[in-house]
Amino acid sequence: MQAAISVEKIREDFPILKRTVRDNKPLVYLDNASTTQKPNQVIDAINDYYRNHNANIHRAVYALAEEATEAYEATRDKIAKFLNIKSREEIIFVRGTTEAINLVAYAWGRDNVKEGDIVVTTEYEHHSNIVPWQLLTQEKKAKLEYICVDDDGNLMIEQLDTYLATGKVRLVTFSLMSNVLGTITDAEKIVSKCRAAGVPILIDGAQAVPHMTVDIQGLDCDFFAFSAHKMLGPTGIGVLWVRKSILETMRPFHGGGDMIREVHKYETTWNDLPYKFEAGTPNIADVVAFGAAIDYLENIGMDTIRQHEVDITKYALEKMSKVKGITIYGTKDISKRGGVISFNFHDVHPHDVAHIIDREGVAIRSGHHCAQVLMERLNVAATNRASFYIYNTREDVDALVRSLEKVAELFKL
Amino acid sequence: MSDPLYTEIIIDEAKHPHNHGTMDSPDISQHDANPMCGDSITLQMKIKNNVIEDIMWSGKGCTICTACTSVLTQLIKGKDIDNARGLPKETILGELGLEHLIQQSPIRIKCALLSLKVLKMGLYSYLADKLKDGGVDNLKEEAASLY
Repeated sequence: MQAAISVEKIREDFPILKRTVRDNKPLVYLDNASTTQKPNQVIDAINDYYRNHNANIHRAVYALAEEATEAYEATRDKIAKFLNIKSREEIIFVRGTTEAINLVAYAWGRDNVKEGDIVVTTEYEHHSNIVPWQLLTQEKKAKLEYICVDDDGNLMIEQLDTYLATGKVRLVTFSLMSNVLGTITDAEKIVSKCRAAGVPILIDGAQAVPHMTVDIQGLDCDFFAFSAHKMLGPTGIGVLWVRKSILETMRPFHGGGDMIREVHKYETTWNDLPYKFEAGTPNIADVVAFGAAIDYLENIGMDTIRQHEVDITKYALEKMSKVKGITIYGTKDISKRGGVISFNFHDVHPHDVAHIIDREGVAIRSGHHCAQVLMERLNVAATNRASFYIYNTREDVDALVRSLEKVAELFKL
Repeated sequence: MSDPLYTEIIIDEAKHPHNHGTMDSPDISQHDANPMCGDSITLQMKIKNNVIEDIMWSGKGCTICTACTSVLTQLIKGKDIDNARGLPKETILGELGLEHLIQQSPIRIKCALLSLKVLKMGLYSYLADKLKDGGVDNLKEEAASLY
């Protein structure tokens, strides 16, 4: 049994949660699948970096440069420990999950996907795990295929067998948790099928890493991507992990400073891993602050965080399913879903719902959530989405439900 | 409960929109969508002697988008093209008391003016095809700079 989370104590660390919005309404922030708020520890880390340590990294020999480099590289080590990664050389800092996946599509995909080959993704991917593969497969005259989603919001993983049987699949890519339905993917099942067929696997961990224990060696995939800003860290920082044996075969993504060993007029040799893939001056301050975010999460414990989210999601599903006129998408099996609840309210467009409840201080996302392929599958133009994190309470859920009554009142439902 | 945006007139207009549906063999058929929120509107028009004889709209939109599209179709049905192409955004917003969106809501203004953008693009394609003298290029620019 995990220790229960002390939400009140946690909320103290998040200055933004103390502010009011609109007509003096307390902020009820329920858009965590989009981005999370930042604790003082992360904000202070950015502040401290610029006030006391700022210098460019990996080059100069003076004290500040040494401190900045140490702080930057310390985050790489924290990530390795946090996700059970074998070698720090496999960790590449990028702008976010989107850039991570584009890096793979460009630097690995262009050398490994050829005409007639197949890349397999799923119907519940974020656009960032669809569009780079469309670009690649169109360029290479290859095919993009989808694992479909069933009515319960789960992937129909057996469809993968048909694709793998062609012998033409070069990559299978999927999200470890859907950003719309909250479904947790049965990664083990997909990975074992791919391993049996000798096909590399990319996992989009943007929604999963912030909310549960993730063990990259245990997952046994080949590429793994996630973003700092969805796990209390700053925006503009993400991580691409690539299995070393593959990373060693990959050509660079961006050319420029820091990724080189020696540059001559017509040829260049590359820097060691992972620096070969980190061209230019990186987002140093935010990498440092990302380290503070990881410390913060580890202090609470990822299993404790997952337990808190299971509790609040269970409460929210119970409470919300009693609201007249609500349609909730995705599985009801709490062991298979994260703290994300997509819903529609009567036939009111989600944009209208979100706008009206915003006046009550409740911040939820409305729209297609960068998942238009899934919207088509669900046969809706858009949904509302409430998503929870460590600082959300049952009172936040109550406020959401109460605010829906305002929508009903206004639309005479 | 009252709300500055969701007034009775807007909610009624959106619940019972005018000119909703599709038509056979339109002279103009134009589509556009708001990438941010998923509003998606197609306008179809029949043109006779330079007059917009009939107009229908289809697609999915929020309350603001639906109400404004409904009002737009009523405003330009039966008008000649020259009249319709100059339709200012203030007129549509004014019909529904939404002028405040221009200043106050850079996000929802896109919902309100999507159909006007579609109208201008539709007329542009139709006229550019007919005139071939570039005299309608301003329409394209207007459509692009509406919001």
